[in-house]
Amino acid sequence: MEGAAMNAVVPMTVPLNAYLAVGTILFVIGLAGALLKRNTLSIFLSIELMMNAVNLLVLAYARMRGDATGQMVVFFVIAIAAAEAAVGLAIFVALFRTRRTIDVDRLSSLKW
Amino acid sequence: MSLELVVFAIASGLAIVSALAMVVVKTPVKSVISLVLTFFALAVLSILLSAPFIAALQVIVYAGAILVLFLFVVMLLNLTQEAEGHDERPIQKLLGLVTVVALGGLLLGVTLKAGAPPVPAAGGPIGNVTDEIPILGRLLFSDHLLAFEALSVLLLLAAVGALILSKRRFD
Repeated sequence: MEGAAMNAVVPMTVPLNAYLAVGTILFVIGLAGALLKRNTLSIFLSIELMMNAVNLLVLAYARMRGDATGQMVVFFVIAIAAAEAAVGLAIFVALFRTRRTIDVDRLSSLKW
Repeated sequence: MSLELVVFAIASGLAIVSALAMVVVKTPVKSVISLVLTFFALAVLSILLSAPFIAALQVIVYAGAILVLFLFVVMLLNLTQEAEGHDERPIQKLLGLVTVVALGGLLLGVTLKAGAPPVPAAGGPIGNVTDEIPILGRLLFSDHLLAFEALSVLLLLAAVGALILSKRRFD
């Protein structure tokens, strides 16, 4: 980080690796939720967590490189997540109205 | 120990603990609430990474809009308790755990080993908090203008799609 200070980038007090570790741990927690949960809504929540973990990584690298494009990427990810959440939740509502459940074990007609 | 380090430790600890709570807790409402906590902690981390605009977006869009939508659907579907009673296939849980441990270890190892890229930072505007948002605005409406316009169409389509999906009868 010390080398970056020469190029008008304020050096990071917290090392980059600490952010990378936190982001990766959050991603793995989200992965565990997505794989182990039975409720479709909880799986969707876990996927949102995974997206945010990756956002944190992108922000950390953007900060380290002193590059605003990384923040632009995160901006677009957040906007697309909003669209995705709206459509996904509408699908769950439609699913619940026809099948009376959103448990992944009962929704297996697309399995084979 | 500097103040920034203390704030980082508290925020990342809170983020990880509430993310774990989100996965462990059985009631969907509590899951959503703990994810709100995680997102607030992530907003604090964004401020530490000198991205106050992203932090505001995180709180307004994620914690404010998306998770409220989740909460609304949980209430609408009346999902008070996750149906965990029928655990007739424990092999899936085992395989899931193995996958999580293997992939998680791999990811952690790779990211920490990769760490900082060998080429040092070119040096740019971020890191100087006072004039960060004008830079983002200029980037958004020059370099990323096409993506921005496409995004507005996408959001409109998503709104219309959600409306149609939730109005139609599937018989």
